[in-house]
Amino acid sequence: MAHKSGVPMVPGNLPVLLPFAPRGPAHDEFFLVRWLGAIPLAWLTAAALLLPAAVMAQSGGAAESPLDKLLRWIPFLFVQGFLFNVLISVCAMAIGTLAGAFAGLGLISRNRLVRMVVQGYVSFFRNIPWLVLLFIVLLAAPFQVTVFGTTIPLPSWIKTVIGLAIPVSANIAEVVRGAVQSVPTAQWEAAESLGFTRRQTIWQIILPQCFKRMLPPWMNWYAILTMSTPLCSLLGVGEIISLTRQAMEAEGNRPELLLPFYGFALVLFLVYCYPIARLTMWLERRFAVKT
Amino acid sequence: MKNILTAILASTVALAPIAAAAETCSNEGLKRIQQRGTLIAGVKADYKPWGYRDTNGNIVGLEIDMAQMVADTLGVKLELVPVIASNRMQFLQQGQTDIMVATMTDTADRREIVGIKGPNYYASGTAALTPKAVKMTGWEDLRDKPICGVQGSFYLQKIEQRYGAKVSAFGNAAEAKQALRDKKCVAFVYDDTTIGADLAAGGWDDFEISLPVEDFAPWGLAVAKPEENCALGQIMSGLQYSWHRDGTLTELEKKWNVKPSPFLEEMHQRMADPLAQ
Repeated sequence: MAHKSGVPMVPGNLPVLLPFAPRGPAHDEFFLVRWLGAIPLAWLTAAALLLPAAVMAQSGGAAESPLDKLLRWIPFLFVQGFLFNVLISVCAMAIGTLAGAFAGLGLISRNRLVRMVVQGYVSFFRNIPWLVLLFIVLLAAPFQVTVFGTTIPLPSWIKTVIGLAIPVSANIAEVVRGAVQSVPTAQWEAAESLGFTRRQTIWQIILPQCFKRMLPPWMNWYAILTMSTPLCSLLGVGEIISLTRQAMEAEGNRPELLLPFYGFALVLFLVYCYPIARLTMWLERRFAVKT
Repeated sequence: MKNILTAILASTVALAPIAAAAETCSNEGLKRIQQRGTLIAGVKADYKPWGYRDTNGNIVGLEIDMAQMVADTLGVKLELVPVIASNRMQFLQQGQTDIMVATMTDTADRREIVGIKGPNYYASGTAALTPKAVKMTGWEDLRDKPICGVQGSFYLQKIEQRYGAKVSAFGNAAEAKQALRDKKCVAFVYDDTTIGADLAAGGWDDFEISLPVEDFAPWGLAVAKPEENCALGQIMSGLQYSWHRDGTLTELEKKWNVKPSPFLEEMHQRMADPLAQ
């Protein structure tokens, strides 16, 4: 028998079929945090230190260096810009998680109609481009709603929170469904034999076991969501990218401002999301099902 | 029964024009402003010196001064809402803003959507910043060449159609200018006042405004469509007229270091008070 495969033949040993292991990173939902978390901290530090040097080299001896201009704007950009992005991401995540938890339970409902409706919602909103959805929500929703005679204003940023929460909820629903279904069926059978109702089984037995499994993918979605908040700048919401552009405009819109100003926004997002990515990967390893 | 219905129907139809006529000027917009005691103005926060941020985050600029004068005239406080080209008209339609002073060029298409009241408060032309080395003399030289502009500028489409240039539109002027420096395009097309200010600010020694400034287009101050020919719209008309007449706009131009525009001078002359010295 001629062996042309890469498996080395050792005389006296029989060839064994090794378990299949694909090369390279797996293309699952963790791709973003896995990629981000895999960057060594030393590289990031080096890049952060090189940025001012690159900026200085590009400035070409202008009267006032772009870095000095950036320093003036840092308090404004951080407080009114970046913290606003964080606020948008936290609100969208809270709404998305709540709606996603219910949608996830809907996915495992025993009512066929509920299952089909929720499945339709989840499939649709997991696959629609986020920006398209944001535009639809922003332009279709009214700027204020009147409920029982009181008028509640709906500013643009609230609309973007809703627009971001919808796709997040669809993805969280899948996370919940996956976690529930990963609990061994023996747990369901044991609960049933002890006389628990289905609702009791889900709330008291299955879901508590799911939290650990859901945490890493949940944080993964939070990191993705946070990095998507600059999309709101296209809708005119005053988040960091909009304000960065306005700051550059106020400083005369000189091209040498692009690198320091956008670089600053990049550093902020990195400083915020990198620890989340590392923690997510660590938690995932810790809670991984041992095989 | 049928007759009664017909009678009701007939009277409704007959009375409809009267009701409509009575409703033409409900002045909802003005009443809302008075009730809340605040005028909400949609302004630019990314167009120096018309509307931009200072380092504290406050929006300042020439158009903000204009909005302030409107608020003072109405005797209410002013609230500013930063808008961008893609949402400024929607905000007016939805009622999120009462007026819009946001460097908007007055065009026939836009007049169908919002109420743009004359006389226009400013006019700018289209200019192009080109490298001296390329030696361009006319807009025809741009045929089949890449040019850079900023999204939402109405003249980009015209240049594409009329001169056959290939337009790349960027999110803001800094990005478009960087593309010009990187030689991704042979010209940066923008309004003449801004390009003039950029050249004057220095750092553009290898570039020039070589093509003749063209397409002088008026800028419009806008209100929501139903207000166009009612109180709020007419107040805007009157204010712009008196700003031209008493030279307020030319003074603002000086205050914000805008290159003196022939349009403002001409309007000032045309509307001059015959009884004044």
